[in-house]
Amino acid sequence: MSRVQSAGEVLEAIQKVKAGATAFCTNFFPVQSRLESWVAHRELMAELRDCAAFFLRKDRDFAHLYFCAANPSALGRELGQVPAIATDKLATDLIGPEPSLAELLRLTEQCGFRRYSRLVRLARTASAVTPPTVQAPDGIELAVEGDAPEILGLIERSFDRFADQLPTLYEIEAALAARQIFIIKQKGEIAALLFFETQGLTSTIRYWLVASHFNSRGFGSALIRHYFLSQSAVRRFILWVTATNENTIQKYQHYGYAPDGLIDHVLVNEPAKT
Amino acid sequence: MKSVPEILQEIRPEFDFAASNDFINDGMLDSFDMMTLVSVLDKNYGISIQGTDIVPENFKNLQTIEALLRQSGAKP
Repeated sequence: MSRVQSAGEVLEAIQKVKAGATAFCTNFFPVQSRLESWVAHRELMAELRDCAAFFLRKDRDFAHLYFCAANPSALGRELGQVPAIATDKLATDLIGPEPSLAELLRLTEQCGFRRYSRLVRLARTASAVTPPTVQAPDGIELAVEGDAPEILGLIERSFDRFADQLPTLYEIEAALAARQIFIIKQKGEIAALLFFETQGLTSTIRYWLVASHFNSRGFGSALIRHYFLSQSAVRRFILWVTATNENTIQKYQHYGYAPDGLIDHVLVNEPAKT
Repeated sequence: MKSVPEILQEIRPEFDFAASNDFINDGMLDSFDMMTLVSVLDKNYGISIQGTDIVPENFKNLQTIEALLRQSGAKP
């Protein structure tokens, strides 16, 4: 693996694989700005192989594995040859409609990965009926720069590092600058937060949480109602949630979200399981 | 045979594609939608869009998608 020096290097590697592709397959869908940020923060490594390219993005004590391959058999052949699989903690995501993922799941499992989590994507159109508004607690505010470390700590304690694409401190700071984190504070402590990303007519909830000792006070529902009201130009709301987290899925369904058919299988390798 | 606007409307019925000149920046199509669209266009027009052509610039608006179809051998 060698460190990626520019976003162009990544695109060039992908193009090389695509050029000979008969049934191109990938789990790498980077938005240009995010890709540039990973490169600038020296988080991205790459390995070009025959008819396939692999990328590792450093994240805390492990790395996310991304791939693109000319066809599934090239993926199966080359993935097993990536040395990091035997030595480093890795997680990888297979995303698509469930039936389309069977072969990729089989190939990655043959190369030493094991299923770790399964996420479903939920979507809501803006025309979905929002339940009647109740009196929102006072105190919803936009988080500011000084809140970043506390937000990071809350997210890290509440979500899974392999499955939930946890943000870095610099991502949180960028979200704060973009006014995309709402919080409720109680006596100076962040009791609840909603972290989202809006791109044009689509908005994604990345993290919505209430600190455990502030449960049952209506903070979560106040935040999500405020979020919907604040995103009045958005037509499509989406998010990913763990498929087994029925309570959370029910909460989202209450606000008009429903599964849209996309699945994310998260797999980890042996070193990540220890 | 369905038209491109009809196909887009089936994939993302909540959006008015005629009102946008940049489907990607306007948040109307993401990477996954692009892959779905390629599969539907292939089937609908009896073509095979090349992997190298599956880039956001080719899915920016109706004109770029129609240019991609012509380049891929779709008959009008």
